[in-house]
Amino acid sequence: MNKPLKKIVIVGGGSAGWLTAGIIAAEHSNNQGSGIEIILVESTDVPPIGVGEGTWPSMRSTLKKMGISETEFLLECDVSFKQGSKFTNWISNTNEHYYHPFTLPNGFNEINLSSYWQPFSDKISFADAVCEQSHLGAHGLAPKQISTAEYSFVANYGYHLNAGKFGQFLQKHCTVKLGVKHVIDHVSKINSSATGDIASITTKNQGDIFGDLFIDCTGTSSLLLAKHYKIPFISKKHILFNDSALAVHVPYESSDSSIASFTSSTAQTAGWIWDIGLPSRRGVGYTYSSAHISHDDAEQELRNYLIPSMGEDAAHALMIRKIPLNPGYREKFWHKNCVAIGMAAGFIEPLEASALALIELSAKMISEQLPANRQTMDIIAKRFNDKFLHRWENIINFLKLHYVLSQRTDSAYWLDNKNEKSIPKNLQELITLWRYQSPYHYDATHTEEMFPPASFQYILYGMNFVTAPLQHNKRESNKVEADKLFNDNIKKTQQLLSVLPTNRELINKIKKYGLPKI
Amino acid sequence: MTNSVLLNNIDHQNLKIITERSATYGDNLWYTQTFPMEFKSIQAYYPIFFNKDPDTGKFFPLALFGFENKENLYLSDNKWSADYIPAMIARQPFLIGIQTLNEEGVEKQQRMLNIDLDNPRVNQEQGESLFLEHGGNSPYLDKVADLLEAIHHGVIDSNNFIEALIEHQLLEPVTLDITLNDHSKNQMLGFYTINEDKLNQLSSDILKSLQKKGYLQAIYMTISSQANVRKLISKKNEKLAL
Repeated sequence: MNKPLKKIVIVGGGSAGWLTAGIIAAEHSNNQGSGIEIILVESTDVPPIGVGEGTWPSMRSTLKKMGISETEFLLECDVSFKQGSKFTNWISNTNEHYYHPFTLPNGFNEINLSSYWQPFSDKISFADAVCEQSHLGAHGLAPKQISTAEYSFVANYGYHLNAGKFGQFLQKHCTVKLGVKHVIDHVSKINSSATGDIASITTKNQGDIFGDLFIDCTGTSSLLLAKHYKIPFISKKHILFNDSALAVHVPYESSDSSIASFTSSTAQTAGWIWDIGLPSRRGVGYTYSSAHISHDDAEQELRNYLIPSMGEDAAHALMIRKIPLNPGYREKFWHKNCVAIGMAAGFIEPLEASALALIELSAKMISEQLPANRQTMDIIAKRFNDKFLHRWENIINFLKLHYVLSQRTDSAYWLDNKNEKSIPKNLQELITLWRYQSPYHYDATHTEEMFPPASFQYILYGMNFVTAPLQHNKRESNKVEADKLFNDNIKKTQQLLSVLPTNRELINKIKKYGLPKI
Repeated sequence: MTNSVLLNNIDHQNLKIITERSATYGDNLWYTQTFPMEFKSIQAYYPIFFNKDPDTGKFFPLALFGFENKENLYLSDNKWSADYIPAMIARQPFLIGIQTLNEEGVEKQQRMLNIDLDNPRVNQEQGESLFLEHGGNSPYLDKVADLLEAIHHGVIDSNNFIEALIEHQLLEPVTLDITLNDHSKNQMLGFYTINEDKLNQLSSDILKSLQKKGYLQAIYMTISSQANVRKLISKKNEKLAL
């Protein structure tokens, strides 16, 4: 029980496996004898699913910590800058839109601007009033300049990337720079010890691989957690209905077409279409509920969406790939000496690009809380399970909020989404509360919340939700401070609009000069 | 902005260049680009720092003349009050143009002397002549051509110098605190300088390789040039009559 933890075996490659390997290896050196040995076993038989091309700003510190050059990453993984999400037709299907930017509302830690903005809600959108980023999005501008150092920003940002290339890039970095051992082989058997722990895995060609901790990154097949340990799956389809996706790669009209710096999400009759701008192509897909629309009709809606940007013939000629989705997660993620990360742990539609962020957070917690020995592992496993159950619930509530606030009544899908039975009780409570007070610091019950109260504000007020003004006057009002922040935002926005390059211009410059290291 | 053309002794036979130093002719700059090959002359008069080119994000060394945009404290009464004028200033209104020639099917690039005809120094009445009566180069023009050649090689060397500094993490941002005689305090941000802690930790192998290329000398000249900040402050005090 007190044998020190020395060897970690990651089963499965892809973004989940290699991110996990990189995050742990970056923190724990693998010097002979004194460090942690990390082995990643992946089978070439299983192709990575390759969706989920949006990241959060957290990816910047994740990559930086792994010692990756941002310039290399940007160029090798076909990366563009992402500054948030733009939602179209989610409120009333009248070609309206709103933004959920990565930047917090100005002065968020000191002052809650939402109540000062609410009286002007018919004049300026919440996002436009409280930060500069939605303006940058409307103008297709980048979040930094060519002289801004790697990983630094003028406006907070994450990435849009080619997930396939990202996996390969991380693999190279992990094996060459971080000393992760890479085994390409098929896992044929999982061998238990007397205590029920996983003692080793048997591979087809290289025999048994032993380890102290096994990390399941095998995607939806969840080889260790689900197949071996039979940890049940908790479906969330009754809350988030989307169970299918159609994905397609869309070429740009020309090599200098603008690259959107926000993930675009356009609501449809039975789901929503994502549209992600990479430097070389767009990645577009329709996430929908098969109970509400047929496959053929969904495909037609997707093609209709593409016609304005590429013409009818091209839109009809595109090869569309179908991907089944199963919203939900495992009852627990860490069992015995096995922990699952990525789709082996669960899956939720990519509405707020939470998949890679969850992988980062999971690997980070494993790395920072790495059990010293088997004795402490169960304590940390419990802690991990509690934290991530909360995180999955937080994501689901946050995503569901997008549907609940919609005023669309044009299809059964939108009506069913507002049916009380489909809305988690605690989300119903929160919505009631928010009618009288806006989400703020008390709404963050845990540290490192997946979606902080600021995100809830952007969705609520972006979707025309009204928080009633206070019925009584507070002794202190910060109206002067609020007005100053609103005016400063106008000035700062004007300044940034004049100095920032477009997303495309900046990427072209990076290809030519690279970003400075400092 | 600029109207740069290839210099020739027919169209430009009668041109003259005003070499007087004044704001009228664009000398009111608060810094100019420099390069290690002229550091020896620069460090005697000016502080050397580093800045990023806003168009490329690439670092370049600079000689500092003032503390804010358009302030050149070395400029007074249409004179430059230091004995050495940085090459990038002295070259005006000339620049290097790259011409692609096709020699027997092989593309070759050649450096050519260009002149900015919109530069206010260019005129037909006063200053230095460019060409002699029968079309030959004036001694002034020969000097300018040598200067541009030196700049060309100096900047290539400078880019290698910068790469070496970055490779060994020898650049760091610097904040200059400037206190004038009236006790007013000002801060200047955005420039970079040599990280002396990192420099002192370099292995002898790396120091040796820097020394071989002349970069170790350039690094120490950069560090010692900072004493000239005091010179700038006293010029500023003088100018404000403090």
